Amino acid sequence: MSEEQKQVQSAPAPAREGGDAPRREGGHPAGPRREGGPGGGRREGPGGPGGPGGPGGARRGKRQYFRKKKVCKFCVEKMDFIDYKRADILAQFVQERGKILPRRMTGVCARHQRWLGVAIKRARNIALLPFAGSAAGVQAPRALEAPKG
Amino acid sequence: MEERLYDLIFIARPATPEEEIKKVIHTLETAVAEKGGKIEKTEHWGTRKLAYKVAKHREGIYIYQQVRTNHGELVHELERRLGVQDSVIKYQTIRLDEELKRQKKLSQKREARAARRPRRITQPVPGAEQQASAN
Repeated sequence: MSEEQKQVQSAPAPAREGGDAPRREGGHPAGPRREGGPGGGRREGPGGPGGPGGPGGARRGKRQYFRKKKVCKFCVEKMDFIDYKRADILAQFVQERGKILPRRMTGVCARHQRWLGVAIKRARNIALLPFAGSAAGVQAPRALEAPKG
Repeated sequence: MEERLYDLIFIARPATPEEEIKKVIHTLETAVAEKGGKIEKTEHWGTRKLAYKVAKHREGIYIYQQVRTNHGELVHELERRLGVQDSVIKYQTIRLDEELKRQKKLSQKREARAARRPRRITQPVPGAEQQASAN
């Protein structure tokens, strides 16, 4: 019991350490889409000289090897509540221009994405996050920076 | 009506003197006292860069409060008072208690599951072994 509580309390600290991962994905929002591109090309393939989709299929299999399984950051941290005041966390799930990143890029689970959306919108309203514009270098309010407990 | 918890954030102009901010907080306190509520927390976040321009300012002084009350009217009154202040450029009130309730429920569930988990893991293992030997 007490160990569990400790884990929950110490959650905010690793949150920032591991925070870079989703951000990096956010830096290249076109990445996953580009992956999808050749798939679109493959659809044309059967009509062309390629004939059976053999090589395309193989390529597809290979690519699946490289794709890393994304896990929901909030589930890993066991967060049951996404605080709209923690702008530093929210900024990781926002594109450079302030758009909310889709789930397919960040790997956030459906439930947390729902809460995340609400939190980001609240943060925007109080000028912690931009509606449109640079989200780089957003910091948490000073009072909240130190993890509680 | 049951008690509710609200987050109240307001942003003052960056050039606002300390006393002026104290005065604003004081007006909020009196309003809270009048309507029957309690300020649980007051935090000064200091001067922060705003994510976008507000009233032509790029920076603002953030003040954060948590208010507990069972009068919904109080929020209305607090927002009215903040709106009247010239030094306050932005404010936001958010109801928090329901989300905290949900959080509590979920973490309780998780703890219950964590307490049950060891037994669950040990159970399927002998079953799997049996299947493997049968094949």
